[in-house]
Amino acid sequence: MQRYGVEQAGPHIVNALDSGLKSCTACGVLQSLDVEDSCHRCGATVRSRRVHSLQRTWAFLIVGMLAYIPANIFPIMLTRSFTGDTSDTIFSGVILLADSGSYFVAFIIFFASIVIPVAKFVIISLLALSIQFKWEMSLHSRHNLHRITELIGRWSMIDVFVVAVLAALIQLGAILTIIPGVGINAFALSVVFTMLAASSLDPRLLWDGDKHV
Amino acid sequence: MTTEVEFINTQPNTDNLIACPGCDLLHTKQSLQAGEYARCERCSHVLQTCKPLSIDRSLAAVLAGIVLLLISLCLPFLSLSRSGIESTISVLNAVEALWGSDMRGLGTLTLAFIVLLPLTRLVLLAWVLWGIRFDHQMRYSMRVAFRWAVQLEPWAMADIFMVGVVVSLVKISALANLEAGLAFWSLLALVGVMVIINLTLCKDTVWNKLDPIS
Repeated sequence: MQRYGVEQAGPHIVNALDSGLKSCTACGVLQSLDVEDSCHRCGATVRSRRVHSLQRTWAFLIVGMLAYIPANIFPIMLTRSFTGDTSDTIFSGVILLADSGSYFVAFIIFFASIVIPVAKFVIISLLALSIQFKWEMSLHSRHNLHRITELIGRWSMIDVFVVAVLAALIQLGAILTIIPGVGINAFALSVVFTMLAASSLDPRLLWDGDKHV
Repeated sequence: MTTEVEFINTQPNTDNLIACPGCDLLHTKQSLQAGEYARCERCSHVLQTCKPLSIDRSLAAVLAGIVLLLISLCLPFLSLSRSGIESTISVLNAVEALWGSDMRGLGTLTLAFIVLLPLTRLVLLAWVLWGIRFDHQMRYSMRVAFRWAVQLEPWAMADIFMVGVVVSLVKISALANLEAGLAFWSLLALVGVMVIINLTLCKDTVWNKLDPIS
């Protein structure tokens, strides 16, 4: 696509902010920096850069990380049958699946409940720190990392739905009953808050240090 | 360098400009042929799309999606049998069971993510696309509705729910016999329809129809 003003500005970057414009991230309308913050087309709040983007990201991310601790310590599911009660944490659930030979499903759960959340904590912190301390890192790889975290974050909810389905379905009284554990609430909160953290981080802040294409 | 400063200080005409939502770089709008799309020169975010027959196709998919979602709510979703005891649940029963056994948070979350948010998104899209298709008068409320429909997308989790269901089936296949009901298949079809909606819905076309002036 043709960059605006490539003849006049040469290799220099002309972004909306420098030209006195801000764009609505919901519908794309451009308006002048000094008009009100509400988009005249779709009603969304239009800011050149999301206000307090880093502060919000850190707040959501820290809550997400804190909630991830009880999510792993406490059981997410209790199975009550006549052979006795067993309780599963996120990790023991993965081990149980692998032991029973369902390696593929065990891998999916391991990926969705452990790899994705931990990777998101690391990546979002890295991006926020790199903006805060103006680290020199490849803009393209940081931009891609941000886009990937936004895309795959929601898939962590798999385990929450597994517990919800099992608990709702398996209510056979004394024979077999599955009860959701406290851990799953913490896990669901952790996923929701990290999703909010990823969407609070304004990717335009990453590019603000860039002066050349 | 004086040319650059001069250039930046002149307020450009915004009608033929577009700023990348990913990196804020300004671009001049392109006139695209059907099926083409334009990416940001710097961060390769897709800036403009021009999908063929977008309104007709996505409206058809949205209406199909609403029907499928309503079907999957009431019909039996899964049935389970063990030692002569059978239980059949629908999606609404499942939420009710969670609510009843004091797992209100989990029940509400599930209801919101797999029923309320997808349904809201589909209904909003249906209203907007129907209005465009049949030349109704464009109102501000439709533009707000379309914005919400777009922003709700990551929070409608019917697809993830279905993966969760398949995982649960594997998990308890040793403990009990399970059978998928009609609602299971219609929810699976809904996931496919959601993909079709995302592929056919052209946001640029919709915004231009909703607000022809800008």
